[in-house]
Amino acid sequence: MKKVTGSSHRLARMRSKNRSGFNSEQASETSSRLMPVSHFRVFIQCMFCIGTLILGFRLTTESSFLKASFQNPEASFTRISARTDSSASTGTESQFDLQLRREFANGSKGSRLAYNGTIVHSSGGVRVDVGRHAILIRPWPHPDPFEVLHAHHLIKRVQLEQQQLYGSKESKPIIAITTTFVRTFQAVHLTGLLHTLSVIPVPVTWIVMEAGGVTNETAHFLSLAHVHRLLHLGFDIPMPAGLNERSKLEAQMRVEGLRYVQKEKLEGVVVFADEGNIHSLEFFTEAQKVEWVGAVSVGLLGFAGFEESPQSGIVHVHDGRVEARGNHILLAARQAAAAPRFEPQVQGPACDSNGNLIGWHIFDPLPLEGEVHKGMRAAQNRRLEWANFVLNARAVWKTEGNQPEWIRSWDEWANPEDGSTPDIKAIVRSDQWVKVLGNCGRKVLLWWLRAEARADSKHPNKWILDESLEIIVPAKSTPWPRRPVRRAAPPPPAPAGGTGMKHGAGSRVSSGKVRRPKRKQDQTNVS
Amino acid sequence: MTKDRRYGNFSLLTSFGLLLLFLCQRVSLAAVHHQRISGSAGDVLEDNPVGRLKVFVYELPSKYNKKWLEKDPRCLTHMFAAEEFVHDFLLASPVRTMNPEEADWFYTPVYTTCDLTPNGLPLPFKSPRMMRSAISYISTHWPFWNRTEGGDHFFVVPHDFGACFHYQEEKAIERGVLPLLKRSTLVQTFGQNHHVCLKEGSIVVPPYAPPEKMQSRFIPPSTPRSIFVYFRGLFYDVGNDPEGGYYARGARAAVWENFKDNPLFDISTQHPSTYYEDMQRAIFCLCPLGWAPWSPRLVEGVIFGCIPVIIADDIVLPFADAIPWEKIGVFVAEKDVPNLDKILSLISPEEVLEKQRLLANPAMKQAMLFSQPTLPGDAFHQILNGLARKLPHDPQIYLKPGQTVLNWTEGPAGDLKPW
Repeated sequence: MKKVTGSSHRLARMRSKNRSGFNSEQASETSSRLMPVSHFRVFIQCMFCIGTLILGFRLTTESSFLKASFQNPEASFTRISARTDSSASTGTESQFDLQLRREFANGSKGSRLAYNGTIVHSSGGVRVDVGRHAILIRPWPHPDPFEVLHAHHLIKRVQLEQQQLYGSKESKPIIAITTTFVRTFQAVHLTGLLHTLSVIPVPVTWIVMEAGGVTNETAHFLSLAHVHRLLHLGFDIPMPAGLNERSKLEAQMRVEGLRYVQKEKLEGVVVFADEGNIHSLEFFTEAQKVEWVGAVSVGLLGFAGFEESPQSGIVHVHDGRVEARGNHILLAARQAAAAPRFEPQVQGPACDSNGNLIGWHIFDPLPLEGEVHKGMRAAQNRRLEWANFVLNARAVWKTEGNQPEWIRSWDEWANPEDGSTPDIKAIVRSDQWVKVLGNCGRKVLLWWLRAEARADSKHPNKWILDESLEIIVPAKSTPWPRRPVRRAAPPPPAPAGGTGMKHGAGSRVSSGKVRRPKRKQDQTNVS
Repeated sequence: MTKDRRYGNFSLLTSFGLLLLFLCQRVSLAAVHHQRISGSAGDVLEDNPVGRLKVFVYELPSKYNKKWLEKDPRCLTHMFAAEEFVHDFLLASPVRTMNPEEADWFYTPVYTTCDLTPNGLPLPFKSPRMMRSAISYISTHWPFWNRTEGGDHFFVVPHDFGACFHYQEEKAIERGVLPLLKRSTLVQTFGQNHHVCLKEGSIVVPPYAPPEKMQSRFIPPSTPRSIFVYFRGLFYDVGNDPEGGYYARGARAAVWENFKDNPLFDISTQHPSTYYEDMQRAIFCLCPLGWAPWSPRLVEGVIFGCIPVIIADDIVLPFADAIPWEKIGVFVAEKDVPNLDKILSLISPEEVLEKQRLLANPAMKQAMLFSQPTLPGDAFHQILNGLARKLPHDPQIYLKPGQTVLNWTEGPAGDLKPW
């Protein structure tokens, strides 16, 4: 160990004491057997002192360095634990170990205690030591991989115990159905989802339906997932651009996924884990409670505006992204500043005081005024998302499912005759059979992040550049027009009181006066 | 031959059955929430002190107690607030008696730690004089002090070094325990073996931590504990000890220098708003010494189920005779700090689970808190239990009339000035 201060003589003594401290712990079980070892220690001490004086450099440093480099650093500790194995039960192990240390400490220090009111200014040694101490630093403080492995085993065991004690007793396997397609933000969404699904404690079967066929890029991401079973299925139709068509195609893809569940007669709980969703692990434990059909609340993240939207119709939805138009930005900001309430949008079941389902909260993204883009009206389709529902896998079985009669059969709801999009809510004949999860929908267990890059944005394949770029042009101005986005939801007020623009030092906030570039910076910093 | 074989089969079956029974027991033990705690004094955490002792509370003029509170109400929220709350508790407790003749213990409510700087730190400079003045008041107005010269009196002195009344260890050791308190029982937070400022027979209590603040921040216990070691606090006290080496005897600095790059250690000086929530997501919480060996981190660790790793040589932890701290926490010598990661990662999982079970015992959590309103088994009751365990008094403490043991002129000259 490296010490910061001290003469070589004192250091040599201390160092040998420290090293032989382990030796003596190894060598004896009781304090009585420390006696012959202390003689040995003194002898070694003297030898090193003489050697130091003769050779002119700190012998103890070199010897300890050599010793450390050749010796297994764990040896001293494994010897202690081996000793404690000899004691009978596990309960006394730690006591014994610590008693040993304390005995040793008492033995060595007690004998040298000459305290009767004097203060000793020295580093290390006497009990009441109020002087300057050395800061002990290991020569190679980086973590040892074996210790890290041990620590992780410990963490895992503790978490297993926690799960056994406090977790839900049921462990039905989870079947997650996801639709995806290759695009710029696929990496963002899919990576988050795959890590969530990898840490669920129950076995997960992940069915990924890809629009446009199976691609290597998606397969590359999916290979990182640690799930019990992964199915990467392709759907030959490419994902369309319009929102309405997209949701239709996604519904069809999910039905295909359910058809797979039906064909293979998979057991468990079916959740519709959409890519853009952020799930909390509690969602998966809550989902275990479902009997046949369950409903959960989904919160909304992202700029979708509020139901009581501003009168001037400033904000629009275009491909899931919010843009504010032109010079109404100031008006929008002022209005946002004036109404600092932050209301998260939540879609899901609504209950009465008894906990019975009486209706549904559905958010209406925006009233559209002013400019309307084609295909946008479908965003107001007032349908619940598939992610709001959780199914028992047996509900989609064709035979041997033993479904109650209030569950529609597969042919009825999954293949509607009029060619309309299958709706998951149609699986039950009436709402009263739907089980509401998450404290009657009050607990929001998953969030829908509506954030997408522009449809024409480019990204390198697998986000890896194989060769360096040939031409590098600094991006002073981006090719697409800058649209400063209206802050739809001011952040929760800072303790120092705020007009909603919380930022570190250096942002001058005055209500009503907003500087555009600053806001954009604010955006990226806070969000 | 067949009989032997049948006997052999039978014995095999019984042994197998016994093994199965044993395994079942082990399995059922595996998912047990908490475990009973019994310390060196026995299973005393849940003892009820009512009926076992009687306490008489002296009525002192308000300049010793209430005036300080009126001057600075921060005294009720800082970590030395135990003295105020113990006073309130005793005034309303069933162990209080109005008849001093039948009292076993006498309590003097003097708030020595309530003289605060603008920053909120207590100044101990007037405390010795205040204490002397209070003792001279009670010795002149009641006969009970002179009867035993304080042998059956107890005082609450929650300051850094207890009744040594100084925040610097050197000066505190120089002063020693106030001479007039030599025969009394002291209830203090400071505890270190073989130290002048820990008198024989003192009751060590936890520092005050506001119970409501902590109990409102629980997260679901099924949240997996994913942080291995957690610590938030200073490593170098830049204001008082910029070079390092004095503060915490260099132990905190050693923790930082050795483990700042270790991903298993979540240590930092930044105090987050999710401090309590983070502690509930951690397995080990470091409780190193600072300027004094005790800290509220121990209380916080116990409340939030995080195993305390105590790095303070010779520390005496609260209620050490009622709570077996070696079984609950991990003790690391200050010189072993560079090997802290090795020590902690080599603890066996069974031991860790056992410690967590002991920590999950509600009696344990209750014993660390000064609950408002008072609940059975809380820190107030543990103090009374400690006092009750010291009964009956040694008849030697009763002095003959006219006999004096204490020297009223002992101590630094500055203390002798009246207050």
